[in-house]
Amino acid sequence: MAESGDAPVDKPVQVKLVLLGEAAVGKSSVVMRFVQNDFSENKEPTIGAAFLTQKCRLEDRVLRYEIWDTAGQERFHSLAPMYYRNAQAAVVVYDITKASSLEKAKSWVKELQRQANPNIVIALVGNKLDLVQSPAAAGAAPAGEEAEDEEADDATATPGEGGEQPLPEPEQEGESLRQVPKDEAAAYAQEAGLLFAETSAKTGEGVVEVFTEIAKKIPIEHILASTRGGSGSRAGGAQARPNVTLQEGQQPAGGKACNC
Amino acid sequence: MTTISAQFRNYREPTKDEGIREFFNAHPAGPDDIPPTGKDVTEISAVMSLKGEDQSYSGRLYLMPPFLAFVSLDRKSARFTLPLYTIRRVEKVNSRAGMFELSLVLWHQMKINVQLTSLRPTADSFCAQLRDALKAQLPQMKKLRPFIRVCYSEHLIKQDGEEYIDAEDDVKDGLEDGVDETIKEAQTEFLGGLGLTFKFPGDPKKLREKSKLKLWKEYLRTHGRNVTLVRYPSVQRLIQVGLPNRLRGDLWETLSGSVYLRFANQGVYEGILAKHKGETSTSTEDIEKDLNRSLPEYRAYQTEIGIGTLRRVLTAYSWKNREVGYCQAMNILVAAILIYMSEEQAFWLLEVLCNRLLPGYYSPSMHGTLLDQRVFESLVSRCLPIISDHFHTVDVQLSVASLPWFLSLYINSMPMIFAFRIVDCFFAMGPKVLFQIGLAILKINGEKLLEIQDDGGFIHLMRDYFNTLGDSAHPHASDSRMRAITNFQELLVVAFREFSVITDDTITSERKRHRNEIVSGIESFTKRAAVRNLKESGAFKKEQLGAIYDTLYKAICAVSASGSGASALAALETTDAQGRPETRIDLKTFRIFLSNVATWARDESIVSNAFVERIDRTVAEHELINRIFFFWDVSHRGALSFQDIVTGLNGVMFNDLMSNIEWFFTLHDKDKDGFLTRDDVLQLSESLLFIFRNEIGDAYLGTVSNFMTNAFEYGDALQPENNEKAEVPEGERAPEPPTNTPYLNLATFRMVVLADELLESFFDTDFSATFKLDIYPGPESPSESTGLIAGIGGLLSNLITDENKKTLNRFADEFGKSIGRHQVTYRPAIGKVDRDMALQEPKTRESLLSPQIRDRSMSSGSLTSGASSTSLAASTSEPLTPGLLPPQLPTIPALPERTPFAIDEVQDDDEDEEDEDDLVVTGGDETLDERSLTSLFKVDAFLQENA
Ligand SMILES: Nc1nc2c(ncn2[C@@H]2O[C@H](COP(=O)(O)OP(=O)(O)OP(=O)(O)O)[C@@H](O)[C@H]2O)c(=O)[nH]1
Ligand SMILES: [Mg+2]
Repeated sequence: MAESGDAPVDKPVQVKLVLLGEAAVGKSSVVMRFVQNDFSENKEPTIGAAFLTQKCRLEDRVLRYEIWDTAGQERFHSLAPMYYRNAQAAVVVYDITKASSLEKAKSWVKELQRQANPNIVIALVGNKLDLVQSPAAAGAAPAGEEAEDEEADDATATPGEGGEQPLPEPEQEGESLRQVPKDEAAAYAQEAGLLFAETSAKTGEGVVEVFTEIAKKIPIEHILASTRGGSGSRAGGAQARPNVTLQEGQQPAGGKACNC
Repeated sequence: MTTISAQFRNYREPTKDEGIREFFNAHPAGPDDIPPTGKDVTEISAVMSLKGEDQSYSGRLYLMPPFLAFVSLDRKSARFTLPLYTIRRVEKVNSRAGMFELSLVLWHQMKINVQLTSLRPTADSFCAQLRDALKAQLPQMKKLRPFIRVCYSEHLIKQDGEEYIDAEDDVKDGLEDGVDETIKEAQTEFLGGLGLTFKFPGDPKKLREKSKLKLWKEYLRTHGRNVTLVRYPSVQRLIQVGLPNRLRGDLWETLSGSVYLRFANQGVYEGILAKHKGETSTSTEDIEKDLNRSLPEYRAYQTEIGIGTLRRVLTAYSWKNREVGYCQAMNILVAAILIYMSEEQAFWLLEVLCNRLLPGYYSPSMHGTLLDQRVFESLVSRCLPIISDHFHTVDVQLSVASLPWFLSLYINSMPMIFAFRIVDCFFAMGPKVLFQIGLAILKINGEKLLEIQDDGGFIHLMRDYFNTLGDSAHPHASDSRMRAITNFQELLVVAFREFSVITDDTITSERKRHRNEIVSGIESFTKRAAVRNLKESGAFKKEQLGAIYDTLYKAICAVSASGSGASALAALETTDAQGRPETRIDLKTFRIFLSNVATWARDESIVSNAFVERIDRTVAEHELINRIFFFWDVSHRGALSFQDIVTGLNGVMFNDLMSNIEWFFTLHDKDKDGFLTRDDVLQLSESLLFIFRNEIGDAYLGTVSNFMTNAFEYGDALQPENNEKAEVPEGERAPEPPTNTPYLNLATFRMVVLADELLESFFDTDFSATFKLDIYPGPESPSESTGLIAGIGGLLSNLITDENKKTLNRFADEFGKSIGRHQVTYRPAIGKVDRDMALQEPKTRESLLSPQIRDRSMSSGSLTSGASSTSLAASTSEPLTPGLLPPQLPTIPALPERTPFAIDEVQDDDEDEEDEDDLVVTGGDETLDERSLTSLFKVDAFLQENA
């Protein structure tokens, strides 16, 4: 999979990325959208952490994300250092329909800034954007339906399921479900020096962009210099913020978890 | 700030008897089951055989009401755990010369023979105890039938096998449409899980369900079943080929021993559900989040039936075991178990899992999980050193892969049908199985593991391996039987053959070896997190915050250690505004905390016996401390968080004169209206007396007395309603103004305080200086990045040695007393006034005892009595050594340089009396007047300024 046409023959630059955030904010769903371009309503909670990989292509370099998707429940907190050690990037996720999840996200940011790799690139991501958008405006409906169709097998037998979902259907509630104003989170991100985006793992909106923005900001030079056996060429492209294109995440058929 | 469960922190190794009960899953159902003699377990050598079978096993027989249990000498060939209420009769078999043989006739007529091979008297006494124990269990017998009747194992052996299994196939064919009736019928007949309705995972043909059931049926007919199962070597084999789905739940219950709990606690599950119906908690919220996320691929969990079942078991357990509550991974475990068992069965199995098989795995600190990961790591380095070395070289952390294996019993890691077979072995043989399987996985993949370069590679490799567990382990073998061996079978063989060296004892001793390390690791982690998560840290430096945390933590541990187990929870687990778990402390714990921070919140007596001097600390109790507790409890929860305490201390430790005065004022202003009432003034004076209670001499007493005189004088003078009082009819003295109306404002209070030098100095520096934070070196681990595994010792070891120290001290005291060299003196909280000064300022005593004030003080309890008696004691004490004084008070020239607490310098009791008399008598009126005058002058000046 590493071969992709015109990419230079360098080994892909490995970037270790960790996902943190309160339980059920959609960390695993964001990763699944990024890696497999897929979404499923009932994702098992992550136990400990899950590991996935996905490649990105910068102008002249392949970047390989090694993604650690951690468990969100508070009591797993003490395990987190195991996963964020040596991480070059972190995506801290909160749920825009749940105010407390932003507080948790802030405390993760604080911890990362104090305990993790000093050069770590952190992105703050407000997920479940689809829940606060009217279906028409979002243009999300097709993607959403598609996702549901894909897992029709699982879903057919669950008529009562809607009631079990922690959040009501977006169509009825619209923007009123939002508990975290975009401005507020953005201002905080700005102040703390984080990348910021709002996403929907369900519709896919904004997800890929998060990872491309991170890719742009990663000091690739630095990584190349420090990785073991990092004999790769030191192209100056990284700092010039080249275009980043995702190698395969966008093709629903092609994505396959951790097979690269 | 989350804390480690008291259980873990105060961990103690099980006693021998407890260990035996543990091995047999034979826990007493209630306190009645433990004989008053205290001797819990009686054991005897015996040879066991079953009527009609050839094999016999020599081993040990244990009587531990309500159970009789046996295990063969090798501890694995043969064993049973028989509840006494299943024994119908005990017959004495005609014994050969000196031999003593009993035949136990069970309710289903099976006979177990036990030959007691000990000496005759021992055997006789054992029999006598057995007889008594059997009698005691008679009432339980009638509960047995209805309980047993619905066990699937009973059902299985009653039916004609072939017929029955055909019926099973019918059920499956009917699944597509309207099977519910068939199912309901089946369920009323015997207990079972969701699998009966929604099919069991795996292909029954491939799993060879029929033949497995047949084998079990034969075995159970002759060897007992459910509560009476006798385990012979063939059981081991039957378990290792995988339990048949329909019998699985029944056997899990039996093998893990949870069936005994269910028997002893009938109705408890339903009771908990009923009691907490409609209630919510953080646990139930977390559970709701995960209900749709538990084995979602299994059909039952796509329906309300399955979800409801899962919800009930998880919530009921979160109510039962509040300390654990709910932890992600439990949902997966319970969802899995419920495929094979009824709700109530699953509930009790969960209890056994959380308490016994996976202790501390799911608790808020997850200490059990961390401990076992550490143990696993150490076993890997011992058994597979090459792999372990390679992991170190490439900096791969074992637990990134292995943690979920243990936490979800491999259910989350490998295809369910295989995971369930591991679970079968786990329930039969205990936690060591998890380690054996883990080691075997690594060993089998050894070569490939040596090629991995990072965590990611490790995870990939493991995932690929788990996905091929069903494939042939030897695909290219010429022998077709070899080819038929799957990777999974190979895994089991390696696990149980090559790692049979891993025994229960290995696990126990490894856990013991690493426990402290884990405790201190978690402690330093939680400490850092707690300090980091403080919203406000005031003027404190990081080390000071750490010290506050340590002191707080020590207090929590002290309370839970002194309390009787879990009932005395020192720390209340709540959630903060963001829903994060947060530990809060109650008043009792706060007293201990404060006693370690503020000198006046403890009584420190210097005890000298014949050998040594030491300082004994006791926690003081006073309204002032309660007042501070509630003052700091800004969210009115009746409990303080770490943040509350930091904010509270910050509000007093860095104060200057004016802010200290204000702080003290506000503290005593009960209704926070900016005025002290007369009552408040009295309370405040009492607080001052309390703080000064151990000071040497009477200077402080005089100061407080002056304070009161002045306060009331000026309070009265400033009362606006003084004019109104003119309306009170003549002839009757104006009634005392009500004690609870606004009386003294801050300005007046300030003025009164400043009127007294000693008080001024107290509020200026001395009071803040009574707060001292001890900075412990502490188990601060330098590398958070490597997780929690750093530092040794921790406070646990301190607690242990403290216990020893106490004993030693008591002994020394007794000895000291017996030779007349036992002395106790109190250490003052401020220690500013030394003996000489005390002698110079005697006069104030009288005014304190002036009738007016005495009347008032009577009404408020302990004012004089407590305070003055302690100060009397204090007056005998030696001046303090420099080290004990607040550093801010270096100007005490009178302080003699001496070795600390020199015995020979302590004056004897007679001299005390004289001193006291002197103090009172020498009180000259002259000085008093002078003082008052200057005070008044100052006050006047102040009034003018502030008018
Ligand atoms: N509507 C909507 N639902 C989402 C979105 N992302 C996730 N979810 C749902 O939220 C629930 C939790 O998602 P997960 O991805 O498992 O959350 P997580 O953060 O990985 O949770 P833990 O592993 O427990 O920490 C699932 O039911 C998802 O279907 C989203 O963008 N929109
Ligand atoms: Mg997840």
